Amino acid sequence: MDNQQILVFSESSDALVELLTAGRSLCGPEGRVTAVAIGPTAAAIAQDCLARGADEALVLQTPEGSRPGPEELVLGLLEAVSVASPATILVGATRTGADVMARLAQALGVPCASSCMALRRDEEGNLEIERRVYGGRFTAKQVLKGNPQVVSIPPSRFPKAEPVKDAAGSSKVLEVTLPAPRVRVQATSPRVRSSVDMTKAEIIIAAGRGIKKVEDLSMLEELAAALGGVLAGSRPLTGDVDWLPTDRRIGLSGQTVKPNLYMACGISGQIEHIVGMKGARTVVAINNDPKAPIHVESDYSVIGNLYEIVPAFLKAFEKANRS
Amino acid sequence: MTGSPLNILVCLKFIPDPNQLQADAEGHPDLARAPFRISTFDENAIEAGLQLAAQNGGRVFGLSVLAGAMPPRDVLLRSLAMGLEALYLVKDENKNAVGPYRLALALAGAVRAIQAAENISSFDVLITGEASADQFNAQVGPRVAVALDIPAITYATKLAIEQGKLIAHRSTENTSETLEADLPALVTVGNEINQARIPTVLQVMGASKKPVKELPIGELPGFDLEEPKDRPCLRTLDITAPPSSRKRIIVVGDNPEEMAANLLSLLGADGEVKV
Repeated sequence: MDNQQILVFSESSDALVELLTAGRSLCGPEGRVTAVAIGPTAAAIAQDCLARGADEALVLQTPEGSRPGPEELVLGLLEAVSVASPATILVGATRTGADVMARLAQALGVPCASSCMALRRDEEGNLEIERRVYGGRFTAKQVLKGNPQVVSIPPSRFPKAEPVKDAAGSSKVLEVTLPAPRVRVQATSPRVRSSVDMTKAEIIIAAGRGIKKVEDLSMLEELAAALGGVLAGSRPLTGDVDWLPTDRRIGLSGQTVKPNLYMACGISGQIEHIVGMKGARTVVAINNDPKAPIHVESDYSVIGNLYEIVPAFLKAFEKANRS
Repeated sequence: MTGSPLNILVCLKFIPDPNQLQADAEGHPDLARAPFRISTFDENAIEAGLQLAAQNGGRVFGLSVLAGAMPPRDVLLRSLAMGLEALYLVKDENKNAVGPYRLALALAGAVRAIQAAENISSFDVLITGEASADQFNAQVGPRVAVALDIPAITYATKLAIEQGKLIAHRSTENTSETLEADLPALVTVGNEINQARIPTVLQVMGASKKPVKELPIGELPGFDLEEPKDRPCLRTLDITAPPSSRKRIIVVGDNPEEMAANLLSLLGADGEVKV
């Protein structure tokens, strides 16, 4: 059994070069990290991976303007697996990546481990992983035995691989003819993104379902501005309604943040949310429901109407900083 | 309404409510003490199925594989109270379908069994939650699509049937897509797609008259009970909760102004805000 061959894939070129780092950390300098690039810019992505130290790049170039979906990506990956016979396959845990990984693993007849936060090779060549379960409150330690071991890793878990001086890898074309897709793209549009890097914010004011109208967010924006913080939201405000851009979402399906101060305003504290803000140094909850789970995860709980507490807090803060 | 009535199947999972799950003295999840519920996104899946059927005509069936402790009857019936036609259950007492790979094969077998039982040539649309709220693998939906060799659209945020095709909006981290798929197709949904209905008292009472049917796990077409011995596997070594070290201080005060002032001085004393 060759434990040294690692196959990495993500449809996101940023996540892909992070996986190069993850792959190298698993197999060491003696092992081989093979990147798979599929899509209209596959050749360029492959060159970038090789420049960043990939030993090999497997390329499936698709026509300009094409958007291969998960089903087509898996067909390419199955060919890559048969070419490279990897011990381990790392996939970026984006939404498309989660979809691709599950299909790939089913087609290969193997289990796979989703969104791994840590991974380590044991003495027998098995892959030990850690992932969050039960909404993120618990951590599962699991082991993948047998090959190939298929794992997905969330974006930003590993640093991007840096360009190397002695890049010596080569690329190879994957001989795959993609059939007409069964799922066809009719239209695409970019999602609205904010320019703020939430992961670096020192103070975060987070809004939840307790906010009744989109206009009411201005009250929290004012507070964020006064404290020098940024405004974020739980899943209801960043998904059910588009009151805040998706990249302002804190939680399992959004960002994981570690500010000095996190003020949860009108957030009940579903664990899907808690996972994202656990790393905060100090947590404040403002919520009128004394039974809301957020209070257990808070340093300071204000049980009251946020529409009264927030303006009063802002006023008190401004007064204190004027005098 | 257009076209012929739809046959829709929702795959759902009954789980110990993660929001009520506590750690025991050793830090392990105390599953026995957490009440069961329908996994959150699976409620959205049921709702999505009911809305599709309401728009196009048709019926929505439910399917669940039960492993481990049995959910109480009222939790099972809640799915019927929401509006499912019938609920099909596969009891997996000997853990023959544990883990997403085996579970997908069993579900695919159960889909074939239900089609035969209901005299449906093929379900038009299969819907699952994007991930279960307990394991959050986000694997079973796309795996079932592979097992049945049908197209799939994951993370759908809007569904419609137009001229015999499934039209879905799908959102990824960076893009919103409008996709078209041939039927039959599988979709996975999260809570962006809808607000799941809460059944009325009358619907809850009526649910007990609806059929709950058991499919023997040994009789699922195409599902082999015996798993080859040397297959790659995923084993769980341990599940633990890191202890929370929050202060859990309730900020007191007779009115909002007083509470706000007290909060400010507490945060000031900690050095988190300037006072």
